Amino acid sequence: MATNAGTQPPAEQTLFVRKASGLIKGWSEGDGFRYSFFSVNLFLAIWSISYATFIPGGSLFWSIVITAAFIVLEIIVYAGLISAMPRAGGDYVWQTRIFHSAVGFVICAVGWWFILWLWTPIYADMGVQTTVKPIFRILGLNGAADWLGSRTGIFVASLVVIAIASILVAVGMKAYAKFQKWAMWIGLAGVLVCGILLLVTSGNSFKEKFNAAADKYYGGDKGMLNLQKYKTDASGLFVYDDAGALVNDGTQQYPGAFEATEAIGAGTGMPTSTFAGGFSWATWTLIPFMLFWMAWPNWGATLYGEVRGAKDFRKNVYQMLGGLLVPTAISLAFLGLMTWKVGYQAFMGTMAAFWWGISPIGGDYISPTAMISWIVPNAAFQVILVGAISLLLFGWFGTLFLSSTRMIFASAFDRILPESAARVTSGGVPVVALVLMTIPSIIMAALYAYTPIDEGTGVTVVKLFTYDATLAIIIMFLGSALAFMVMRWRAKAIWDSSSLPKGGIAGIPWMSIIAAVYSAFLVFNLYLFIKDAIYGVNNSKSAIFMAVLYVAALVIWLSAWVTRKRQGMELETVAKEIPVE
Amino acid sequence: MSVRLFFATDVHGSEVCWRKFINSAKHYEADVLILGGDMTGKAIVPIVDEGAGNWQYTMQDVPHTLRSEDEVVANERLIADHGYYPIRMTHDQVQDLTAHPEKLDELFEREMRGTIEHWVQFADERLAGTKIQCIVCPGNDDADDIDEILATSKTMTVGEGNVIDLPDGYQLVSSGWTNLTPWDTPREEDEPALKSRILSVVAQATAAPERLVLGLHAPPFDTQLDVAPKIDWESLTVKGQDTAHVGSTAVKEVIKEVQPLLALHGHIHESRAAERIGRTLAINPGSSYVEGTLSGVVVELDGKSKVKRYRLTMG
Repeated sequence: MATNAGTQPPAEQTLFVRKASGLIKGWSEGDGFRYSFFSVNLFLAIWSISYATFIPGGSLFWSIVITAAFIVLEIIVYAGLISAMPRAGGDYVWQTRIFHSAVGFVICAVGWWFILWLWTPIYADMGVQTTVKPIFRILGLNGAADWLGSRTGIFVASLVVIAIASILVAVGMKAYAKFQKWAMWIGLAGVLVCGILLLVTSGNSFKEKFNAAADKYYGGDKGMLNLQKYKTDASGLFVYDDAGALVNDGTQQYPGAFEATEAIGAGTGMPTSTFAGGFSWATWTLIPFMLFWMAWPNWGATLYGEVRGAKDFRKNVYQMLGGLLVPTAISLAFLGLMTWKVGYQAFMGTMAAFWWGISPIGGDYISPTAMISWIVPNAAFQVILVGAISLLLFGWFGTLFLSSTRMIFASAFDRILPESAARVTSGGVPVVALVLMTIPSIIMAALYAYTPIDEGTGVTVVKLFTYDATLAIIIMFLGSALAFMVMRWRAKAIWDSSSLPKGGIAGIPWMSIIAAVYSAFLVFNLYLFIKDAIYGVNNSKSAIFMAVLYVAALVIWLSAWVTRKRQGMELETVAKEIPVE
Repeated sequence: MSVRLFFATDVHGSEVCWRKFINSAKHYEADVLILGGDMTGKAIVPIVDEGAGNWQYTMQDVPHTLRSEDEVVANERLIADHGYYPIRMTHDQVQDLTAHPEKLDELFEREMRGTIEHWVQFADERLAGTKIQCIVCPGNDDADDIDEILATSKTMTVGEGNVIDLPDGYQLVSSGWTNLTPWDTPREEDEPALKSRILSVVAQATAAPERLVLGLHAPPFDTQLDVAPKIDWESLTVKGQDTAHVGSTAVKEVIKEVQPLLALHGHIHESRAAERIGRTLAINPGSSYVEGTLSGVVVELDGKSKVKRYRLTMG
């Protein structure tokens, strides 16, 4: 084709499209990132960091870094699954399609539906300890704060979480996305304020303000301040009596609440550096605790597009990566600031104080957001700051039921659950699915609050199963990782149609290799969960609890299989591939 | 006597989905196959001659280099399975089309016609001698001229604008026309015109409402069947997580007025759902053609006045 001198021919197109519906040019990365960011929640980070006090020999910093590195593999696996098979129902659809209807349903019913009932009181407990109780203390509502820590208080808080989660599902994705947007920006503004406060406050000033606030909110005639000194041995560790209780050091007291937590840090064996422990076995055993916070960037939303491409895969990766790395960076920055100002050991002492039951501030959890807010001795400011940051937790509540309802819908479409499970009101409210979440969540919350106290740990039996909430989901992720690993062979048409990178080595795609490494990481964590009592789940009660869930799921599937068989319908054919030739 | 239907829709030129559709009768033991609208593909993928037996194409933003005729043939099939039209071209031809997009219409027409002819041949070979009834209805994305090609089939019937007798006294009324979209597609019109069109076909049906099946490509407005990402009509970009109901008010009114036993829809690939509108069961099985999966629904009619059961499928 002749061209005029000085002009360039137009760049060649690689695709010529015609006028046809569904062709869209772009979609918002912001929403996908936001969903992932909320899922790798900063409040879960606080909780995970506090769990690190159970294994003081491990390096918290390196456990976070190692976990993040493996979660990048998770992101690649899930971005791949989402771009190859972008269907509502996610893990359930992938595992059903690639393995078998029963496998997909049983694993995902437990992982996306049943176990979220347990997350309800966990969310409530976290919200109470990190946010509501500290606010109540600031406001002088000590009766209410004490009540919240009671069995009934936790139960009622769980009911509030259930109500919030239900409302967020009922209002629909559009309104929820708007709420999440505002919640994120306000919450991050609060985090920024906390960062600035830490930067401009000296360590000594922080300690003075901490003591002053502790005295104001817990001391004096409130009588909740406990500055009792405990005996230590030659190495500075606490001494325990034959019954396993700490030994009082006579009538001696610490000068202030902060000095008490400093001593708790030393006495419970917290290291002086977050790097101590390096890449030791102890560091690796911290990873299951970090998964409690970091395993979730793959809860990001998907958007179905028509002329999709590798960009979709990359977009999914970037969004989830952002959702992982931003909260990780914030958490590490926060850890760094606290270490700089008050010392790592003292900071970890504030965490250990709660779990050892020796918190100097009335036994309360020493909320990091609250203690930073105490830098400014103004109750209104403290309440606003703590409340603002708490939106990062409340903005996350909607995910509690949203993912479950999708899984319930998919199962109903596949006829494992009755058609009515997918019923939606004229206003778009998935009433039956919500009932299938709310009623069992209420029951689980009651069990969490009212089951007997486990003597060894001082928490209720069901609260002891907190890590089952992670375990069940890790098992489900393993199912999806294995599905992705074998997609090239088990769902060849889908693999070939996808925009996934197809390169590999010795005939094995790189995607399969990545999935295999990620699967091995998950198996490693499952091994730790099952082997070590420190995670609270390698006991017979937890095993029975998990067994009940999986058996219940299997019973549902088998009942559906028998029922449908009698109706002349085979469940397996729903997802069985139609022959092409 | 119960009647088992299998309905799928929006295959958009996907060779593998078309083959699955024709084979689905045996797979699901269906008496009747119904294909809802949007049979033709949306894009042409040029496979460019690089010389010395090498070819190059890009699909889904991934470049592919092909070094033999066998590889080219295999990739042509892969592209076709994706719903695109593979065409071998030289660089000059690609540049010409890039510079003169008005030449694409003729090229698309040629490819669409060629694919439909090939599909008709495949269907006739597979369905010959069987008792399977197969009805296909083009949709809003499909140009008018494919109807005449489909009509040459010995085993398939064209649904558009027709009343078709199904087994056991049921009747199917179909139309692939939709309400207006941002893309100015071949078969779209405003709601009053659409309602008039549909009712004119319904008026020809002799079956009672409880034995009537409507196959209307556009889903009813403000249901679970018509939820799509909200799009800016000017820029054709999606607004974050916003969704909108994009179905047809005309279709909804017709369903409410006529109250057929069953209404089968497509058009909105994401809205895989089933919903009752009065006594009518309305179903949109969605579409996953881009990944080579045929989304569909198996519906069993009880031979009297009810839908015995239905199940959504992903084959």
